[in-house]
Amino acid sequence: MSDAAYSRFKSKKRSERTINALTLLIVIVFALIVLFPIWWIFRTSLMTNPEIYQYPPALLPKNWLFSNYEKTMQIFKFWKYLWNTMIIIVPSCLGGTFTATLCGYAFARLRFRGKQLIWSLCVGSMLLPAMVTLIPLYIGWTRGLGLQDSYLPLILPYFCGGGAFNIFLIRQFILSIPRELDQAATIDGAGYFRILFSIIMPAIKPAMIVVAMFIFIGLWNDLLQQMIYINSSDKYTIALGITNFKGQLKQDWSMTMAATCLSFAPGVIFYLIGQKYFVEGITLTGLKN
Amino acid sequence: MKTMKKGFMFNVSMVLLLGMMAGCSTNNNNPNVSPTGEATSKPAVTTTSPSTEKVKITYSMWGSEEEGKKTQEAADKFNASQNRIEVKVQAIPWENYMTKLNTQATAGQLPDTGILKEDGVIQWSSDGMLNDVSSMYTGSDSKPLDSLAYKYQGKTVAYAAANEILLLYYNKDMFDKAKVPYPPSALDKAWTWEEFVATAKKLTVDSNGKHPDEDGFKPQSIVQYGASVENLAWQLEAWALSNGGGFYSNDGTAVRIGEDASIEAIQKVADLYLKDHVAPLSVGQTDDGIQRTIIAGKVAMATNGAWNVGTSLNAAKDAGLKYGVAVLPYFKEKVTLNTGGANVVFSQTKHPKEAMEWLKWYTAEENNWGLISSGIWMPTLKKWYTDETLTHKWVDNPNFPPYNEYKSAVVDYAQSSAARPAAWFYTNHTTDFNTLLASTLGDVWTGKTSAKEAISKNLEALKAANKGQK
Amino acid sequence: METFNKPQQRRSRLHSNEASVAYICLIPAILGLIFLTYLPLLGVLGISMTNWTGLKKPEFIGFSNYITLFTTDPYMKDSILATLYFAFLSVAGSMIYSLFIAMLLNRKIPARGFFRAVFYVPFVLPAAAIYVGWSWLYEANFGFFNYLLSEIGLNKVLFIADSNYVVPSLSLISVWLSGNLIVIFLAGLQNVPSVYHEAAEMDGANGWNRFRHITLPCMTPIIFYNLLLSLIANLQVVTPALALTNGGPGNSSRFMTYLMYDQAFVNYKLGYACATTFIVFAILAAFTAVLFKTSKRWIYSEGDDDK
Repeated sequence: MSDAAYSRFKSKKRSERTINALTLLIVIVFALIVLFPIWWIFRTSLMTNPEIYQYPPALLPKNWLFSNYEKTMQIFKFWKYLWNTMIIIVPSCLGGTFTATLCGYAFARLRFRGKQLIWSLCVGSMLLPAMVTLIPLYIGWTRGLGLQDSYLPLILPYFCGGGAFNIFLIRQFILSIPRELDQAATIDGAGYFRILFSIIMPAIKPAMIVVAMFIFIGLWNDLLQQMIYINSSDKYTIALGITNFKGQLKQDWSMTMAATCLSFAPGVIFYLIGQKYFVEGITLTGLKN
Repeated sequence: MKTMKKGFMFNVSMVLLLGMMAGCSTNNNNPNVSPTGEATSKPAVTTTSPSTEKVKITYSMWGSEEEGKKTQEAADKFNASQNRIEVKVQAIPWENYMTKLNTQATAGQLPDTGILKEDGVIQWSSDGMLNDVSSMYTGSDSKPLDSLAYKYQGKTVAYAAANEILLLYYNKDMFDKAKVPYPPSALDKAWTWEEFVATAKKLTVDSNGKHPDEDGFKPQSIVQYGASVENLAWQLEAWALSNGGGFYSNDGTAVRIGEDASIEAIQKVADLYLKDHVAPLSVGQTDDGIQRTIIAGKVAMATNGAWNVGTSLNAAKDAGLKYGVAVLPYFKEKVTLNTGGANVVFSQTKHPKEAMEWLKWYTAEENNWGLISSGIWMPTLKKWYTDETLTHKWVDNPNFPPYNEYKSAVVDYAQSSAARPAAWFYTNHTTDFNTLLASTLGDVWTGKTSAKEAISKNLEALKAANKGQK
Repeated sequence: METFNKPQQRRSRLHSNEASVAYICLIPAILGLIFLTYLPLLGVLGISMTNWTGLKKPEFIGFSNYITLFTTDPYMKDSILATLYFAFLSVAGSMIYSLFIAMLLNRKIPARGFFRAVFYVPFVLPAAAIYVGWSWLYEANFGFFNYLLSEIGLNKVLFIADSNYVVPSLSLISVWLSGNLIVIFLAGLQNVPSVYHEAAEMDGANGWNRFRHITLPCMTPIIFYNLLLSLIANLQVVTPALALTNGGPGNSSRFMTYLMYDQAFVNYKLGYACATTFIVFAILAAFTAVLFKTSKRWIYSEGDDDK
């Protein structure tokens, strides 16, 4: 390399390093800002009630009262709510992933009459927000099918493809798998279902995990639907538990915040576990609209 | 590959299994639904069928699981005391209580009886959903206070399950520190609004120790406030009435909130924050008004409902808080509002007589003593207010402030002429009206608009809301 | 040879078999589309033309719900404005924020995975709990933000108690929650072929020019996807109103979906609520249509535009 080029290279490397260092700094600052509200909730959960109302507000609790969590667990039925939430989420994730895969496969690989039409209807339903169909669905489930105070209205819809966004995702994924694999299997005598199960599914595992995660997060946060279909308090999910806890007459902010932090935990843990697949999945989607 | 297929089949069966479990568990946990649900499709089961057949009725209430259990314990006592009626309690959380009931009504699956939110009673009544309960107390030794009967078209359609009035709470320690005399607990010594504000000013300090009206007082750095008045729409009626105005005419059909007296009262409440600087901005969304003010030691006086004695103040008292109860200040007339969720018998029921019998038993104070002795509920029957022995039984209680104080500020106050029923006891469409009023007054609290402007602009809409149009 | 004929035969057999397999696979989706999407949509339209309250029998009243909504309803106009305002702030804020952070995270800095997780975490947390936490920061009298402001010597801001500040305050939370967009942008950034960057560098282009002329154009499909996602989500905003403000102060946070919820589940005016719903749907569809129509003009797509 010539001298000029070398010095240009070196200075570029240096400036790149300073930019990187600067970037790291900015990232750290933003990360702190982003984490701050979460810290706020956490520190409130560790204080006594009078401490919370103090002004000026304290950044750190005086005593780190982890005993608040014990007290809270006695009243806030965390495990029960978690169990209830899982009863809803697990079948939905499984059902949703499975049916999304079926549908995505059909759109990606198979030829049939009406494909364009059904696909357009599918895409169209993506643009239909949940709110729009909330009322008739509510009437249909509770009045028409008599499903009062039940989890079924929350779970069953996921067996119908798991939401058009997810079908779309799987479809994109399958499209990125070379057809030669299919054809090889066909020549070996495999039918369409065999191809789906033996070849396609293993290949799109990251996508399936991504879909499961999307469903998980969607359900985890879905306060409105849960509020509408669930009545009795022993069927409460985490989201409902927190809302009711907050509204209970015995207002105790530190416990409310402790309950909130407890409700954070499963979501975060699940995310950390699935993160690896998740990012892989997003990257591989290609997202070419 | 083969393993994939095996795993896959396992997944499918898990899904189906879990789905079935979820379905089954919901069916098993809903014994309430089947009796009343099937009752509507079977030929009517008359109550004169052989008395070996226990009549099963359901009672719905709002509250947490804890509260539901407590109520079921009371119901079990009732069930054990006779063998004709069996009561099952259904506890539904407060936020979605009315929504759930509405759904059940649509599905024809209402419980036989239950508690109904105050602002829904007249509406449901006018839709024919409630039974007339005026016969409930014929022949009893005591009836509920007059102000606790919900009336529609001259008939009593519900009695309040408990009594609640608005009080002035105050933090005794804060008063002692500032060497200011306590607010009066006797109605004849009640403060005027001016006296109230003047006292509040003595108890409001900024970071330099200055009071409002003193030189150098900085409203932006107040560390302690003197007073806080709840600005929930339904409570504002008390102040409007006190000033000679009001929200509605006596029969609830005409709207009076546009009158100058009503508007002035509302503005004065807002001015506590805007002009007098004795009150924090009232957020009004949360349930913890007393927590944020009296218990936290941030505000010396606060208006709120009597239930706070039981919901938050008793725990605080145990932790060392010294608080007192007093009567509300007044503008021209002495007014407080009383209210209470209504116990109703739904017209869809097949067992009206049994339902009434249960209600009467349940609301007899001895039978839900837990809620009364904790201070959350006040009794409904007149005798508890007039018969001193009963009053002692009620108020002589470590949970409560000193007997004389509570008796004067609460018991006597509640049966005095100052206690008026909140509008929803006789007015329809109070939910719409209150929501609209709350939205109308949104900018009044922050001073962006005056009460006069806000209400005048929206008067027609308020009137329409009262009529039930939107 | 034998094999020459066999594929032909097999192909025609597979053809009709293919269609039946497809239909079998699609049964759940078709059922869902019919019963969970399009029938309810018709249901909404139908109910919106009645005055059903769930208690009495519904009566057909034609378009009078719609007329009332556009003329005398005290909330509708404010509601539409509040929703549009919120959506505008939130979408713009989220897009800028997540693109910016994604670009930062795209550089070679240590612990990238950790930081990625940090920015994503808000999205995973239960929303209702989040809003309670933020309500403490925003509290008008004793909240933390007001404490900071008073330390600097500025006047207290009433945040969610102030009709001018409530929507920006809620939008800020929405931006904070938009970590999911960051991950998608990151993936998109990494998909920009580095050959372009290298070529541009050799030609002497600096960072900003490279961003404008290479990164952005290559990212347009991703930007479109995120924009669509963010727009749909933010136009349907309801949780902040449910959990924090109840539509106030006044009507400044009475978002359309919250209004619909209030009408349907609190006041039980089902017919009326369905009319509101249909109007929301129309607005959403309009925005989406505009977005799609104009997208052809500014999306640079390398691959197939197979829809």
